[in-house]
Amino acid sequence: MQLEPFNRSEALSLGVELELQLVNTHDYDLAPYAEDMLRLMAQTPLPGSVVPEMTSSMIEISTDICHSAEDVIRQLTPIREALIRNADKLNIAVVGGGTHAFQQWHERRIYDKPRFRELSELYGYLSKQFTIFGQHVHIGCPDADAALLMLHRMSRYIPHFIALSASSPFVQGQDTQFDSARLNSVFAFPLSGRAPFTLSWKEFEAYFERMTRTGVVRSMKDFYWDIRPKPEFGTIEIRVFDTPLTVERAAALAGYVQSLAAWFLQEQPFEPTEDDYLVYTYNRFQACRFGLDAVYVDPATGQHMPLRDHILMTMTQLEWHSEALNATRALGELRTSVEANRNDARWLREKQGKERLLAEVVRQAALRFRGGS
Amino acid sequence: MNLTNFINEMLGFWSEWLRPSAGLPTVLWSLLLAAAAVSGHVVQRYLGFPKVVGYSMVGAVFGFAGFEGAIWPLRGISLFLLELGAAVVLFEAGGRLPLRWFRHNPMVLVQSLLEATLTYFGVLWMLRLLGLPDPVANPIALMAIVASPAVLSRVIMDTRASGPVTERAMTLATLNTFYALALGYAQAGLIERAPQTLLQKLYPVAVVLGLSFVIGGILALALRMALRFMSPTSENTSILLLALIAAGAALTAHFGGSAPLAALVGGVLLKTLNPKPWAWQRQLGTAASLLTMLMFVLVSMVAAQADWTLPVASVVLAVIGIRLFAKIAGVAIANPGSGASWNQAFWVGCAMSPLSSIALLIASNFTTASPLLGTMITQVALPSILLMEVLGAVLATVAIHAVGESSVPWAPQAFSTTEDTQR
Repeated sequence: MQLEPFNRSEALSLGVELELQLVNTHDYDLAPYAEDMLRLMAQTPLPGSVVPEMTSSMIEISTDICHSAEDVIRQLTPIREALIRNADKLNIAVVGGGTHAFQQWHERRIYDKPRFRELSELYGYLSKQFTIFGQHVHIGCPDADAALLMLHRMSRYIPHFIALSASSPFVQGQDTQFDSARLNSVFAFPLSGRAPFTLSWKEFEAYFERMTRTGVVRSMKDFYWDIRPKPEFGTIEIRVFDTPLTVERAAALAGYVQSLAAWFLQEQPFEPTEDDYLVYTYNRFQACRFGLDAVYVDPATGQHMPLRDHILMTMTQLEWHSEALNATRALGELRTSVEANRNDARWLREKQGKERLLAEVVRQAALRFRGGS
Repeated sequence: MNLTNFINEMLGFWSEWLRPSAGLPTVLWSLLLAAAAVSGHVVQRYLGFPKVVGYSMVGAVFGFAGFEGAIWPLRGISLFLLELGAAVVLFEAGGRLPLRWFRHNPMVLVQSLLEATLTYFGVLWMLRLLGLPDPVANPIALMAIVASPAVLSRVIMDTRASGPVTERAMTLATLNTFYALALGYAQAGLIERAPQTLLQKLYPVAVVLGLSFVIGGILALALRMALRFMSPTSENTSILLLALIAAGAALTAHFGGSAPLAALVGGVLLKTLNPKPWAWQRQLGTAASLLTMLMFVLVSMVAAQADWTLPVASVVLAVIGIRLFAKIAGVAIANPGSGASWNQAFWVGCAMSPLSSIALLIASNFTTASPLLGTMITQVALPSILLMEVLGAVLATVAIHAVGESSVPWAPQAFSTTEDTQR
């Protein structure tokens, strides 16, 4: 099977997908309302789309093509309002966050769709454990080779994305000690992790063909990489973000990615190498485990430094680009939270420390998604 | 030495160790509950039916056999146990009654009012058609409004169900229980009197509601205060809850109100005062399960004492048929705009078919108020309750599985080899 050609897209255009939790309003456990929610959402004209996800307590919303973080929030806001309105009608709540704090994976039901059934048969219990919630950011690339170059440059910033978006400290009722435990579930899939190092689309096509010949892979969808090219959109798709607790933070994260991409395209600040990946897994683990308190190993110099400092440093580097992209407010919000050493994982832990009841933490997270706190 | 002499000698030998005990009734009741527990397990594991069916079967068998543990009309400790069991279930159901939902989706309230009204008038019409006088038909029609939250919640637990149909059926069942209790207890007080004016008719309803609100309010406030310093996940909080519900039930009954209604109101008020998620269910655990099992056994045991004849059976079947039709029709007519599909509306109507303790309590009130009319009410009410405790539980299970809201497959667990991962 051949890889489809890399379509044209506007460089630095943006697209955001958010996987969201549907919970009941009684004990705030996940509730299988995806079908009902999709039926009601279909009645409201909105930008982007709303689609089902692997299990019946999840839905995925996405924006149309955006050009800035402001554009993203302009699209996500009416979608959120419609979600809240329909959730109220169904007596459920919509919640962000990378994991549901206390759901039991074995109670989940696979959404009735051929692809999900197929995946469920292949992956067994892993498919139910895949009831995790991420944000995907697409960034438009000028051409296929530029996309691969962008992908491998972006890989150095995977820890930054993880720490900034981390919102999955609780799994099955326990504090995992990780800020982002969600990515541990992704790691169980055989085709997860990093993309192979190649900067030429021709070589990537050859790799894809070799993989399809083995019968392990049929389409790009079978790769669960942290960042993967999306030839049909002409983008690369960054998939390591936990879904934040608010759409405002989701838009801010998209603005950060777009500013980085602009920096890469306009200044060509460094050349990625295969050796970047020597510290990739270690940095990724550090960010998942410690969030903003992680240690970051610079792949180029081998220097160890607090990830928080490195994030702030990149934000300073990106100032000019973020201004040009109308992302100053987005980066400002992120910078403030990093300086205060706060991310959503910390917010969730603080609430649990106060309430001592995870269901109440989920309820408050649902209020936060509505813009209530 | 023959066997009789040997036993007498042994008994004589033991007699000096014999002490006063709780007595034979306690032993019989304990064995009855043990049999119900085994039966519930077997029925679920080997037949795939809800456990409630097993409990009801044991109760019915003992009832048919003439076990004198619960005499109709209920009074004393058996009445209190039944009221307490219903109160615990309704307190929990009240806490699940989402008042804000009706603001965002008033069609759910319309569905509730419509299905309750249609059920009442449908059953009343059918009974009049079959020649029953109004004073008998009216209590039975009131009783038919109830869709047992007790049975439904047990079925939901057994099937580990969650989803739109499950939630809506539970909400509608709680609401129609509220209507039936308020009207049923009030009218029972009037059965031997003939109120002339509207005020005279409304007065008893206001008294029952008022009393229930006062007791329910006190219950909610007491628990709200306790929750300021006690964890909802603590076992002690659950015991406090059970103890307060029991005290509330005894007080309400003493003052002439409805214990289950007070508990329901208490649950609603507590949830309003304390919107945090509830963690009672898991903590109440075995104590609450024992209480509800006792309730099902008691209901079926009492209901089995009815006189079963062919004419009675036809009336009962007609009542059950029209009730089911009215519930489905009521939910379906008000379905547009309620956020549910037609398929879901149909199965919500079916899931509301169970009848159980609340209906029995209403019937019991009428019987106590007027033994003469009570006999006629009992003739139809008791068989209907028994039949719909069992059939209703099965139909509710079918409904939950039909809409794919169960987390366990419906094959008997003993024969199930793989876990069902598909809807």
